[in-house]
Amino acid sequence: MNGNLNYILRRLLYLVPVLLGVCFLIFILFNVVAPDPVHMLLGKHPSQDQIIQLREQLGLNKSLFFQYVDIVRSAFTFDFGRSWSTKQDISTMFMNGAIPSLTLTLPAFTIATFTSIFFAVIVAYFRGKGIDLFIRISCIAMMSISSLVYILVFQYFLAFKWGLFEISGYEYGFPNFLYYVSLPILIWVILSLGPDIRFYRTLILDEIYQDYVRTARAKGLSERVILFKHVLRNAMIPIVTYTVVQLPFLLLGSLLLESFFSIPGLGDMTINALNASDFPVLKAMSIFSAVAYIFFTLMQDIIYTIVDPRIKLQ
Amino acid sequence: MNKFKLGLSLLLLVTFVSCTKKKNYEEKVLVRNVSAKVKGLDPVNAGDTYSSTEIARVYEGLLEYHYLKRPYQLQPNLAEAMPEVSEDGLTYTFKIKKGVKFHDNKCFPNGKGRELKAEDFIYSIKRMADTKNISTGWWLLDGKIVGLNAWSDKYKGKDANYSDSVEGLTAIDDHTLQFKLTQKYPQFLYSLAMVYTFAVPKEAVDMYGEEFLNNPVGTGPFMTETYRQTNKIVYEKNPNYRDVFYPSEGSEEDKKLGLLEPAGKKVPFVDKIIVNILTESSTSFLAFESGNLDFSEIPKDNFDQVVVPGKGLATDYAAKGIVLDISPDLDVTYMAFNTEDPLFKNNVKLRRAMSLAYDNAKNNELFYNNQGLEAQTIIPPGIGGYDPKFKSTYGQYDLAKAKALLAEAGYPDGKGLPEINYETLSKTSSRQAAEFFQKSMSDIGITIKVNTNTWPQLTHKTKKKTAQMFGMAWLGDYPDGENFLQLLYGPNASPGPNGSNYNNEEFNKEFDVAKNMQPGPKRAAIYSKLAQKVSDEVPLILGVHRTSYVLKHAWLKNYKFSTFNHGNSKFYDVDMDLKEKTIKSGILNKTVDKKTAKAD
Repeated sequence: MNGNLNYILRRLLYLVPVLLGVCFLIFILFNVVAPDPVHMLLGKHPSQDQIIQLREQLGLNKSLFFQYVDIVRSAFTFDFGRSWSTKQDISTMFMNGAIPSLTLTLPAFTIATFTSIFFAVIVAYFRGKGIDLFIRISCIAMMSISSLVYILVFQYFLAFKWGLFEISGYEYGFPNFLYYVSLPILIWVILSLGPDIRFYRTLILDEIYQDYVRTARAKGLSERVILFKHVLRNAMIPIVTYTVVQLPFLLLGSLLLESFFSIPGLGDMTINALNASDFPVLKAMSIFSAVAYIFFTLMQDIIYTIVDPRIKLQ
Repeated sequence: MNKFKLGLSLLLLVTFVSCTKKKNYEEKVLVRNVSAKVKGLDPVNAGDTYSSTEIARVYEGLLEYHYLKRPYQLQPNLAEAMPEVSEDGLTYTFKIKKGVKFHDNKCFPNGKGRELKAEDFIYSIKRMADTKNISTGWWLLDGKIVGLNAWSDKYKGKDANYSDSVEGLTAIDDHTLQFKLTQKYPQFLYSLAMVYTFAVPKEAVDMYGEEFLNNPVGTGPFMTETYRQTNKIVYEKNPNYRDVFYPSEGSEEDKKLGLLEPAGKKVPFVDKIIVNILTESSTSFLAFESGNLDFSEIPKDNFDQVVVPGKGLATDYAAKGIVLDISPDLDVTYMAFNTEDPLFKNNVKLRRAMSLAYDNAKNNELFYNNQGLEAQTIIPPGIGGYDPKFKSTYGQYDLAKAKALLAEAGYPDGKGLPEINYETLSKTSSRQAAEFFQKSMSDIGITIKVNTNTWPQLTHKTKKKTAQMFGMAWLGDYPDGENFLQLLYGPNASPGPNGSNYNNEEFNKEFDVAKNMQPGPKRAAIYSKLAQKVSDEVPLILGVHRTSYVLKHAWLKNYKFSTFNHGNSKFYDVDMDLKEKTIKSGILNKTVDKKTAKAD
């Protein structure tokens, strides 16, 4: 147990160099390479005085070294200040945006993952038979269609023509949000089914040709028991890897879905920040996702020890 | 297998239950959209039309535009009457309406809104001059009011002392306000109808500090609680709004459209306004079609489906009770030469040749459905200085003449001319327009390289003077030729609004004189002359004066388009019974056959 704690602490310490590196990349991208945002923010009639004043207010007149220090400071204090373009407090923007994003992405991701694993097991069970072929072809067909097509077509037919869903919008609070996220969730699930089913199928099939499966068959176990009791359990490691890696991105919301369904989440926020050269928001998003990524890979290691007792954290 | 089937059908059941919310038709609600994020509700930073429209629901200024009259005409709003102007044209004295109250808010003692005073306008204008606020509206007053620039400079980078007086801003008493200008400048009045100068109570700014932009406290017809930057802003009617009445003067056309029916009635008419922030045009158009929005612009992609060239609204839309409103907008589109670029500097022949090779009529047909007006000068119709008879010499498509001029410029058939960089936005419509320009130029042997940019990139390039040529449009800030001619005024060169960096001493001198003259035929003649002369110099290849298309549902009453639409929502009315009936009938979601549909 002591070893575990040590490991976790060590991993958390890794955060420091990683964050410094992330800050450096952000610094290069935004403070060195990106176009000067001052003109964009000042509108059509700026005066020379205002340009100087704004550069000072935004800390852009400092030397590049101190601009880097500013980014590092905000990364470690999590104080990102205010948005340049909307003048809103970034932590408040995060709080306001995280809820809608999570109400969309968490259920969508959960449903998509369980459905895909369910189908993957079925196709693995019937591997080589008609149903396997049918689902695989359907997956490829679904993957061949652009996500934008799903959004536009579903919005037009399911929401507008047939009135099954709300066209767009969002309301905070349960159960009100459900009306607004159900169609985006449906689209998310359909979009993930194709790649996910094929991926999980491969994982399961990899296991099916292992020696222990042959042994189990030789023991006379039924195919169903082998699949659910042995194969699926062994396939858990890659499945956990695959799902946990996606978790930090759930926090970031979905750029396209949020934008088209007018869900005021973090994805929508990012798109708007991109369009407005709103660097503090973009920096905050980048740092936040880096931290989330590190955190979730740590979680992943811990989950490994649970699903496979042979693994020890060292 | 049975389990599998059961699972599948359960899954489908869970996902496909009807997921729409019940609508409420009891309250009178105006529902509209805004296509960009609103940057908080602080008048000093009303930098874009979206934000200013929202701010003007809550805040008000001394003056406003008459709702129905065209050409646009100023009238008093919080002022009792139009100001008294001294003989030398420098002093403006306003009487302010008595008994006007700010919204009830906890920033006031006992939470009761106090009366508006002359001092509030002085405070609000000083906020624009306060360098800490970096107001995007400062250009309006920069150098115009006696002592204001000195006040602004005195507190540069420091906390401004608002009790320090400014000579040109005096509250003679609680209801009399006097402005002293540094020079004659009649356009000053327009700035008092712009959102930047709207009245803000000091108590609210002091109390909310940095969060003031989210806690608006004005005198306006609507109010909103703490503003959260999400996808929706909800305004409630101000229960203590003073007596303001719907206008009773309008044109015959207005009368025919029923716009004068509510004449003399107390406004606002609606109890609530819901503004949905919908940045995707396809989404907002669907929302409009289904009745979730009362009116909407027409996205470019849906244009052909909605509007039949030469006939107006498509019959299937008309059959649903949808109405199309076409009105001229006060703007001009253009492609600018950076006249400081070595290639274009002192090379008027090249600029003229390129302008002659540009088929503007085709541009109008391809990109504006022939509804734009091909611009001959930079001044749009509807304001002094526009001359309907004038035809610009180099604004007419003439390939032979263009080729001849190009040869005279020293580049016969484009030989020896380097590739020219043209900067545009990366959205489809801008790219198509750029490609059309590219094709036009290739007809006389000029090679154009089209560079696509994000809006920040394009602004950066134009403001830093690194763009060689770029496409742009100018929407008037106020209805005066000065606002358009200043686009070519030398001292306004980048980073100012004169992106072509055109600098002609004679033009600058005459413009300086004209902008200080009283409005009237004499000044209009000078505007007109200036605009025509500069058209010959071709610092810009002019495009069109655009037309606005707005679709509205039949239940939206009293809607009239205005370029300066801020503050107009108090005049809109919604027939909720008709709205309920129309939506419940399901006609909006049905496909109506174009051939059998009859418009009424």
